Amino acid sequence: MSSRPATIEHHDVTCPFCGLLCDDLTVLVDDELHPDAKACAKATRAYAAIAPFAAPTIDGKPVTFDAAIAQAAKYLKRSRQPLFAGLGTDVAGIRAALALAERCRGTVDHLHGAALARGMQVLQSRGWHTTTLGEVRNRADLVVLVGVDINVNYQNLIRRYLAPAAALQPARRTSRRLVYLGPRRAQPSSPELPCEVIATTKSLSETLRHLQALLGARTVAGPDRGQALASLATALRAAQYPVLIWAPGQLDSLDGDLTIAAACDVIADLNKTQRAAGLALGGDDGGQSAQAACAWLTGFPLGLSFAGEQLDYAPARYNTTRVLAEGQADLLLWISTFARHLPPTHALPQIVLAPLGTELRGKRTVYIPVGTPGIDHAGQLVRTDGVVSLPLPALRDVGLPSAATVLSRLHQALD
Amino acid sequence: MQAKITELRGARIYDPTHGIDGEVRSVFVSGDGIVASPRDPGTIKELLDLSGCVMMAGGIDIHTHIGGGKVNIGRMLLPEDHLAERSTRGEYPRLGSGRYSPSTLLAGYRYAEMGYTACFEPAMLPANARQAHMEMADTPIVDKGAYALLGNDDFLLRQLAGGADPKLIQDYIAWTLHASQALAIKVVNPGGINAFKFNQRRLDLDERNAAYGITPRQILLALAEGIHALGLPHPLHIHGCNLGVAGNVNTTLATIEALAGLPAHLTHVQFHSYGTEGDRKFSSGAQRIAEAVNANANISIDIGQIMFGQTVTESGDSMRQYAGSAFAYPKKSVIMDIECDAGCGVVPFKYKDSSFVNALQWAIGLELFLSVTDPWRVFLTTDHPNGAPFTSYPHLIRLLMDRSFRRDMLATILPEAAAASVLGSLEREYSLYEIAIITRAAPARSLGLSTLGHLGIGARGDITVYTDHPDRERMFKAPRLVYKAGEQIIREGKIVATPRGATHVVRPEFDSSIERLLDTYFDQYMSVRRANFMVSDHEIEEFGQSPLIRHTARR
Ligand code: SF4
Ligand SMILES: [Zn+2]
Repeated sequence: MSSRPATIEHHDVTCPFCGLLCDDLTVLVDDELHPDAKACAKATRAYAAIAPFAAPTIDGKPVTFDAAIAQAAKYLKRSRQPLFAGLGTDVAGIRAALALAERCRGTVDHLHGAALARGMQVLQSRGWHTTTLGEVRNRADLVVLVGVDINVNYQNLIRRYLAPAAALQPARRTSRRLVYLGPRRAQPSSPELPCEVIATTKSLSETLRHLQALLGARTVAGPDRGQALASLATALRAAQYPVLIWAPGQLDSLDGDLTIAAACDVIADLNKTQRAAGLALGGDDGGQSAQAACAWLTGFPLGLSFAGEQLDYAPARYNTTRVLAEGQADLLLWISTFARHLPPTHALPQIVLAPLGTELRGKRTVYIPVGTPGIDHAGQLVRTDGVVSLPLPALRDVGLPSAATVLSRLHQALD
Repeated sequence: MQAKITELRGARIYDPTHGIDGEVRSVFVSGDGIVASPRDPGTIKELLDLSGCVMMAGGIDIHTHIGGGKVNIGRMLLPEDHLAERSTRGEYPRLGSGRYSPSTLLAGYRYAEMGYTACFEPAMLPANARQAHMEMADTPIVDKGAYALLGNDDFLLRQLAGGADPKLIQDYIAWTLHASQALAIKVVNPGGINAFKFNQRRLDLDERNAAYGITPRQILLALAEGIHALGLPHPLHIHGCNLGVAGNVNTTLATIEALAGLPAHLTHVQFHSYGTEGDRKFSSGAQRIAEAVNANANISIDIGQIMFGQTVTESGDSMRQYAGSAFAYPKKSVIMDIECDAGCGVVPFKYKDSSFVNALQWAIGLELFLSVTDPWRVFLTTDHPNGAPFTSYPHLIRLLMDRSFRRDMLATILPEAAAASVLGSLEREYSLYEIAIITRAAPARSLGLSTLGHLGIGARGDITVYTDHPDRERMFKAPRLVYKAGEQIIREGKIVATPRGATHVVRPEFDSSIERLLDTYFDQYMSVRRANFMVSDHEIEEFGQSPLIRHTARR
């Protein structure tokens, strides 16, 4: 009898490891997962690092799933202020987490909550004009990366969207210019599409304000009146469909909101007489799904508390760091099913739903291994542009439950 | 063993599908449906005396933006709505928020509370279908379904520009319905959303899209003919050119003429019934539209009535929404170009009775309701939330049923606007029978939902019982009892059960060779694979936990 497992080939596989959700991967599955060359370096690493089956633990000691769930339910019952954080899961997981958080009067935040809130704050203060990956691929003739580092994340952006083989507007694809605006350390190196670099010395928001002034042909004071920026302004005016791309999670925490708002202002100015649009890259680890599902289920984006008689939305207050720092929680429920993100340090009892490698063995810790959506079970995720969602396949079955299943069982255990 | 039978006795029944106009008779409910009077009265396990009550089938909203990208953008854009209106623990089964952009849970509860048991999302972008279905799945109690948007997608425009065979267009329509799990097809500003991506700022019925050289007229006809040939129950659902533009009454009349007898539904026609007369170059075109609708039996309409107050407008019509964003209140809006598929615009807006234009819009909507003679071709909508949130339906029903109340309201709007409308001279009052037509029987018939919208034997047990009251607003606001699929969901104004509600789709046949053509197109241009673009039954039934009800085309 051969111990070698059969190899199964899966096509059109959606990769869940960043907000782009590339869905054109072929993955060979034997006792490991082997994505083809269409997977970017980050994805290739992530598929290779997928954890095997593991047993749940209580305070580091292996137990059955039933025992772990019973203990976790005990913690939840005892808790007055649980914090539901991480939330790195698929739509089903978010639905289950929000239902449980409401039942337990918890606070909810995502592990990329700060980045998500950055975009949300700009949206809620001024709105914006945006576009989607499919539009960029076919219509854009000028793409400006506003401080986006595609060397570390969103690595397939160029292959799939900026330099595809064909486009509905072929002339725009052939003449497409890619400009990177930002600190030199993150400039892209792209054989498929040459990238012009405008290295910034000032903050990105100031640079964009400068650009906006140049577009308005207003005289700009200050020493940093670069020629490159002036020619970018000219190019933006001449373009038929320029797109500015930013990644809230990669922006400086102090300058991030200002940068996004300035980019949106540039786009709004352009749209008065021509067309232009923006696109945010982000929502990794299920962040876009968490944000969207929270908004439709409750009316509010993340940064939400179910503690009171009514929903309370205050993203500046209900974020993981602050809730823990201010002692506003007595239990942490941490969900992270994609990459191995450890919960922040704290001294509370905790329930951790994550793949092996994130298990915590400390005191008062219930660790429940869960599968990764798109690997261990089917599911759905919302893409970075907030429009397209993709189905995730189940590529293997090693007996790991989904986060949604565990959360629902916890919910039932409370009733 | 026979299922338990409940007898609902003593109510006056309004069931226009069967011509029943206020007759007192019993309705028997068993399992999930309405059954015949049992031969053996011993099988009746429960008897409810509903004397003094009015009974209708559950309400059906044929056009309400309850789920999908732009609706959710509206929620994120406007925390002010949600902070101002939040439900309290215990008020509903789960917490929710929002008056004009309600959370999905709250929307489901509030529809049910109003006696509505089915709601149809009219603007589902195929590229966004998966999320639209997720949101609809999380809208509890009510049945739902969605209309897929076509007519601005580059695939169709390219095919039309290349002189495609009508059979291919039919196959594409049918494939889109399958792929997006839709019940009907809608077109929004035909070709205009696409043209806006090429910086065209307006597109009249016979103006050419700069990129493809085709006109809205060509797109409308291709879709209306394709749908007719496929034998879909619901005709092409049209949001025409020039929404909100003074003088668009001519575009709307030309659209009716262009259709030349083909079945079509003109949606939120109030927004398309404006003339240019008078000092302010803005006048009511309602009488001309009503005349045309009365004369063309192929046309049905819903109104898109506006109500005064704050709301948010959410539309696929990025071209017109961009123009409208100058009037945003509060001052923020979202405009999106989407996936070579369509677009969207989300613009908050406050309708004021002191504004000439807004006050006249209010009057135009009511003029239309009262001037189109055949209630089977008029459906009650506010184009939620574009004209007003759906929660204003009871107030709207009172405006239609109660002439003196209507006159009192008319007296409160800007007098110049009141003077510019014939509304004050319209005597008509809708009867309960007519209200039952425009809020259930007619929408069900138009959508081909044979078991909904009526109380006959074999109907699904979606039933609303109102306590009769001369104040119709009060009466329609809080029904005494509501049944959904035979289960009591509202008792004395309280939600007592929260079933999930089914998803209605239509499944016309098509030649699968279109899929090969689409595979090539998706490979070359689209941002996702064709297989992943398609929403599977499993996603609706398992992930969404919503039973699928598959309707067939007539042919
Ligand atoms: S770019 Fe993102 S979605 Fe695409 S393969 Fe890499 S990690 Fe996966
Ligand atoms: Zn509408």
